[in-house]
Amino acid sequence: MGGVDVGDGGGKKRSTNSDINMIPFIDLLMVTIAFLLITAVWTTNSRINADAQVPGPPDPNKELTPQTPEKVLNLHIGDSEFSLVWKQGATVVSEIKVPKNQIEVGDAKIIRYPDLAKKIEEEWKAQGGHRDPTDRKLDQCILFSDNRTPFKEIVAVLDALYAPKRDMKFPDGSTKKLPVFNMTFSVR
Amino acid sequence: MDRFSRKHHDPHAHVIHHPGRRLMHKVPLKFVWNKVSGHGRKNVGAALNLVSFIDFLVVTVIFLLMSFSASGEMTVDKNVKLPKAENVEDVVDAPMIAVNGNQILVDGVLAGSTRAIEELGRLQKIDELFALLKNKRELWKQLQPNKPFPGVCILQVDQNVPALVVKSVFQTAAFAGYPNVSFMVGKIPKAN
Repeated sequence: MGGVDVGDGGGKKRSTNSDINMIPFIDLLMVTIAFLLITAVWTTNSRINADAQVPGPPDPNKELTPQTPEKVLNLHIGDSEFSLVWKQGATVVSEIKVPKNQIEVGDAKIIRYPDLAKKIEEEWKAQGGHRDPTDRKLDQCILFSDNRTPFKEIVAVLDALYAPKRDMKFPDGSTKKLPVFNMTFSVR
Repeated sequence: MDRFSRKHHDPHAHVIHHPGRRLMHKVPLKFVWNKVSGHGRKNVGAALNLVSFIDFLVVTVIFLLMSFSASGEMTVDKNVKLPKAENVEDVVDAPMIAVNGNQILVDGVLAGSTRAIEELGRLQKIDELFALLKNKRELWKQLQPNKPFPGVCILQVDQNVPALVVKSVFQTAAFAGYPNVSFMVGKIPKAN
């Protein structure tokens, strides 16, 4: 045990000895470890954002000023390829096809589309409308998929869509890296 | 006055002892004493070095405290196998809609059938889910009348559920006043 012994002291005086009792200290440490181990979260869950917010009807009391519609990325999930179509209103601005090169990761066979993520980033750099750090709006992406597509494939596409990130400045002066796109489903 | 005499002055006198061996010290048997005190032989009373043990415990406590995180601690329906993703955000406190191969549940309450949507084969508004979510929204607004409603809900969707069901739930949630929908996923470390 930890302790201090300064000798016998001599004569009739009692020796000056102060033993620090380590047992409560060790007990405390053991209890803390047990508590932390029991309360630890071993499987961490996270979330992927989607947005169903669509512009509502215009306010009848406000005067309407004609605005050019924003460019929107339409992402179509096909059987053998993805198509990335930039549209401004009804006008097609650009269209490219990306082959569906699926990669399976780990023992759980998690689907990944790294080629799609790269192409989406390139497309955003070429066509994206919100790139300034002070711009707090995100570019919109509409996901088109077949009704039979399994959810794990949709998540793999969303993961590729959220891979490109940009800096965004907040009013408190802080800067965060956020995904460049905000996604919503096409409802047909 | 006798009780204040020098003999009994120190109240802790009984707990402070001369350092030394303690093992089997109070056993009044000669052969035990011979064994314990050694008597020329190797002493059986081995002193444990606690310093390394305490160091280990302290390091373990510090590591666990540093890596401790309460976020992501959410109950997941046992019939739902979540897909996994890299580019994710931390979960927030919001109503949970679990969608497995058979049922749709809102915070554990049955709110629709997945099979019925699949059999119908087209996108539809799920009435039970809509009613439950609407009630939740109204309750939230009654409890916090001065705050703007965030409209966030989290979908725990099984990885094999078809897109038709996901879209139907997504659309119903939006109709019920929850346009900020998030999908719960398992987090995988980022590949370099």
